[in-house]
Amino acid sequence: MTQNTINTPASPGMAAPATAWLLRMGKGRFLGNRKARLALVILVPILLLTAFAPLLPLQAPLETNLRAMMQPPSLAHPFGTDRMGRDILARTLSGVQISLFVGLSVALLALVSGMILGTLAGFLGGIVDRTVMSIVDIFLAFPSLLLAIGLVAVMGTGVVPVILAIALADVPRFIRLQRSLVLSLRSRAFIDAARTVKARKSWLMSRHILPNTVAPMLVAASIAAANAILVEASLSFLGLGIMPPVPSLGNIIRDGQTYLEQAWWISTLPGVVILAIAISFHFLSDGVREALDPRSRQ
Amino acid sequence: MVEYSLKKFAQLLFTVFGVVTLVFFTLRFIPGDAASAMAGDAISGEALELLREQMGLNAPLLSQYLIYIKGLVTFDFGVTITTRLPVADLLLRALPVTLSIAVLTIVLTVALSIPLGTLAALMAHRGQNGLDNLITGTAMVLDLMPSFWTALVFLLIFSLTLGWFPASGTVSFDAPMDFLKRIALPVLVLSVTQMATMARITRTAVLEVLSEDYVRTARAMGWSEMRVLFRHALKNASLPIVTVIGLSFGNLLNGTVIVEFIFTIPGIGNLLINGINSRDYQMVQTLIVFYALLFVGINFITDIVYRALDPRVKF
Amino acid sequence: MTFQAEIDVPLLDVRDLRTEFGTDSGTVTAVDGVSFTVHAGERVAIVGESGSGKSAMAMSILRLLAYPGRVAGGTVLLNGRDLCALSERQLNAVRGREVGTVFQDPMSSLDPVMRISKQMIPPIMRSVGLGREKARAEAIHWLDKVGIPDAERRLEAFPFEMSGGMRQRVMIAMALSCRPKLLIADEPTTALDVTIQAQIVDVMKTLISETGTAMMFITHDLGLVARFADKVAVMYAGRIVEFGTVHDIFHKPSHPYTQSLLSTIPSTTALRHQRLPQIPGMPPDMKNPPKGCAFRDRCAAAIQTCAQDAPRLTPRGAGHVAACWQPDGLAGVPRPECSGQVRRNTNRPLRDRTMVEINRLTKQFTGSGTRLFSRKPAQVVKAVNGVTLRVQQGETLGIVGESGCGKSTVARLLLGLEEPTSGEIFIDGLAQMVFQDPSSSFNPKMRIHAIIEEPLIVKRWGDRQARAERVRSLIDQVGLEVAHLDRYPNQLSGGQRQRVAVARALALDPSVVVADEPTSALDVSVRAQVINLLADLKEDLGIAFIFISHDLLTVRYIADRIAVMYLGEVVEYGPADEVFDRPAHPYTKALIDAVPLPDPVTEAARAPIQLKGELPSPLDIPKGCAFASRCPIVTDRCRIEKPVLRQPMKTREAACHYAK
Repeated sequence: MTQNTINTPASPGMAAPATAWLLRMGKGRFLGNRKARLALVILVPILLLTAFAPLLPLQAPLETNLRAMMQPPSLAHPFGTDRMGRDILARTLSGVQISLFVGLSVALLALVSGMILGTLAGFLGGIVDRTVMSIVDIFLAFPSLLLAIGLVAVMGTGVVPVILAIALADVPRFIRLQRSLVLSLRSRAFIDAARTVKARKSWLMSRHILPNTVAPMLVAASIAAANAILVEASLSFLGLGIMPPVPSLGNIIRDGQTYLEQAWWISTLPGVVILAIAISFHFLSDGVREALDPRSRQ
Repeated sequence: MVEYSLKKFAQLLFTVFGVVTLVFFTLRFIPGDAASAMAGDAISGEALELLREQMGLNAPLLSQYLIYIKGLVTFDFGVTITTRLPVADLLLRALPVTLSIAVLTIVLTVALSIPLGTLAALMAHRGQNGLDNLITGTAMVLDLMPSFWTALVFLLIFSLTLGWFPASGTVSFDAPMDFLKRIALPVLVLSVTQMATMARITRTAVLEVLSEDYVRTARAMGWSEMRVLFRHALKNASLPIVTVIGLSFGNLLNGTVIVEFIFTIPGIGNLLINGINSRDYQMVQTLIVFYALLFVGINFITDIVYRALDPRVKF
Repeated sequence: MTFQAEIDVPLLDVRDLRTEFGTDSGTVTAVDGVSFTVHAGERVAIVGESGSGKSAMAMSILRLLAYPGRVAGGTVLLNGRDLCALSERQLNAVRGREVGTVFQDPMSSLDPVMRISKQMIPPIMRSVGLGREKARAEAIHWLDKVGIPDAERRLEAFPFEMSGGMRQRVMIAMALSCRPKLLIADEPTTALDVTIQAQIVDVMKTLISETGTAMMFITHDLGLVARFADKVAVMYAGRIVEFGTVHDIFHKPSHPYTQSLLSTIPSTTALRHQRLPQIPGMPPDMKNPPKGCAFRDRCAAAIQTCAQDAPRLTPRGAGHVAACWQPDGLAGVPRPECSGQVRRNTNRPLRDRTMVEINRLTKQFTGSGTRLFSRKPAQVVKAVNGVTLRVQQGETLGIVGESGCGKSTVARLLLGLEEPTSGEIFIDGLAQMVFQDPSSSFNPKMRIHAIIEEPLIVKRWGDRQARAERVRSLIDQVGLEVAHLDRYPNQLSGGQRQRVAVARALALDPSVVVADEPTSALDVSVRAQVINLLADLKEDLGIAFIFISHDLLTVRYIADRIAVMYLGEVVEYGPADEVFDRPAHPYTKALIDAVPLPDPVTEAARAPIQLKGELPSPLDIPKGCAFASRCPIVTDRCRIEKPVLRQPMKTREAACHYAK
């Protein structure tokens, strides 16, 4: 844990204000939402386990134990051990930290840059719009994982290049979404209503257009977070993302690939955790969508 | 139709030009340069200079760029650094393998996911949520399973435990049955993810069409539910489905890289990973461009098909 | 209305029909024990507002309800056979063949990717038992009958190649070509313009009587009922509250709801300067149906019993039933707010100050021009084509016309939402607008107080406290409560939202208020409330008012002067009463004739001149008179020489060569 470059409370620390804000926006509807509750039921235990991993009676993620190599799951090692006797659960929890950090960073980067560029393109139109959208089209011509692979090949491995590579593949989608939201909002009747009192463009933007893009963009961001977690795992699995010995869900599974027959737990159990996180982010996005939808507010 | 296609094609050419240029300049802006990145630390200054010369990195940027463009147009992608084989030959040898996997996956996906999605939509429309929730829920879980993990699980179950499919061995078109057995698991793994997406989209599209007024009109004319479903609902729902087939082709390409890597299948995905691992930038550059071209090409075709299917779109 | 002796068994006998919708928050009973009969060849209208259960009831008859709706009880006897007991398969033999259906929205009721022939011929083959060729001839025959020009060629068209009116004709041809005994039409003309509506109603009436088909006609428009129906069922909150012949309903209405509904419609004969009677409150929320009579909260005649027991339908005459504890409904009960308060003073001298002046205004929209491979020139839509108008202080100008006539574009130009292509607009002071659809003209993320306050903030009006004060006084002025200020738009009803829109428009003390179809998204019973509010405010504040609507009766009620628009031009302009009573332009006359009046006797006596054909495309306006293609008195001169707006009478202008 101590050797880990990622600060432990980083991910939960970022999630907390966001969650609080969501709760405020949703007026408690968020927690009343079945899917949102389901998401939290999965996510909160994972977050707690990750945050308090050092307090658990587990080996440190990098600690080897040559007397307990390739142990199947047991009470001492709930996820078993690998060929160097490292505890898979401890490594998985450490990997989850990286996953969440990558997922949330990518979502945040994509959200912020997508909102800025998409708003500029949609609101200014003309040459700005055409330039931005041409570049977006070029980026969207690459299948997303392949773009990330190409970028990692250039930028090198490690957490920051991985975040940048995945975010670069996501930003164009966010720009496009934000732009289309801005464009469709621009022609709504309440914009006309504000224009009849000669409201300035900046007023229209800050009071009417941007607030109405937040909910759909947040929904997209939570899906992007889930997706980023999967892409990071894929990159690390291919040996292009987070490199050993730093544990990441992808490289733990990659380690286990060679011993699939002898020690199935090394590869399979961390995968279940990735799946659980991805599912919870999707439920979260559904929950956000339903909670923030003004039509469902009565 | 022709006018629209031409217009779209012009846009496509512009995008392709952007892709090609982007890839070229991204690779030129590697810290250090491609030669030193490739050679690593253990190389003398002289040897590095020689390598630069070989890779044409000493020429002015613009002339490098022009040579690169000319190469792409004439299908001459240079030679690999490690094996000195022409990249174009390697690509041509690997491509049929990858395409076989992709095409089989699409066929399997469409054959299974459209009926499943339609069934789910029909159930949801009738308010029989049990089966719908089962299909939708399964689709979501399958969709979110990391494909490399699914591949390993399938490998463990179908290959290592049950022994139905070989986990390794040569891949050759000369022995079609063996070839099919070899690519069966990769296709299955990819289909799982693709099916999930496609079934979900089918469900949404059909469900939406089922609540359209014209479906009610058809029912009010006394047509049976099946006839309404096939003549009206599926025909109208096919439009969004075609679009999604095109867009999900990108995910399919992503997936081929992973399954080729896991099942050691000599397709272009494996070529790419090997290229990156051996720091063969000539190869990586060519393959990334090629993937992008494949993707935009497929999307161009689906766009035209979409237009042709919809009589409302005038050309 | 003649009862044929041999028909003892009614064609359709609905008994105690109940329809429920299962929702998350419980079961909603949309149709609550409805019983009525339709005899062969009869036309029965089902009248009600949105949410009254009229459509759900109609769809229940053929079990066409979408999930989560379901028929929960009752019987539907068609020729003595219970449709509710039939299997889906057996019912499919009845649908289309014995009972035809025409739906509300012709734009979405035909399969968009299927040619008309494919949608029309197979049902004929199946129902009538003809071969493909004969069925094809039959389809062409019916298209021809419903008035589709060049039917043989149109049979191979796709729906998107036709206008809404044409599509509705196709729907009618499709339904009637299967020779049903009963036709169910669910608001078949609501989505159409008034002149097209008149054509469609006429086609239906003729063909129905030709074929002897009975008809069940669902509508919210009492005028259409008067024009069309033999018998009428009035629905409220899921029940039939009154049923009788059209004469019973219009001349001897017995239920307070029917009585109030009839009185809220601005009529052409009543004194237009009296306040419009209005029904207070809103229809009940069907999720929590009230105990007892559902109408009692809005009823001036309500007594103790009404709160406990829901009244059943009891006889009020031969074949006339009503569900009310009071034998004569509202009759004999003093009605405080309908007692004819004279709110409006017609003799008020118009102050001689021009608030709005529009001179030779034009607006053209250019389609996206520069196409890469296109040889076609850019298309130009002439939305407004040389309009000149004036509005005095304290005056209300009504602008009427069908969709596409440019009336809304004039409003947008006045408010500066569009730049005119040429011409001049002078406004003395500030113009503000009340938009058509209150659900989309408010930002859903803003609370009501922020919505009303917005113009004040933008114009830097006062400080925070002064603005809050102003918002409170505005909300009071439009008859809402301070408690509403904290809500979001979707927490208000349509009528309340439109009040908020008015409050917002008044925030900056405008000198001109433009209202673009302010009541067309509202239910009949709520409409009168908003109209009265506008009339009162106009009276109290003395502002100039521009009221844009396709609803001629409302415009006639509220406006001092009227401008009739056709294809971007004003074709007639003058005092409201005169224009209505003695229209000078043939289009004005046709428009007025097309409006169904809520009185069966007047309707029966009318022989309206019907406009032929449809509105020409604004892309391709005829050279001479724009109206020439549809005009009943057209001459060769009209096709060559464009008439200008002139003054054939002292007070009136008309753009017709033959206006006297």
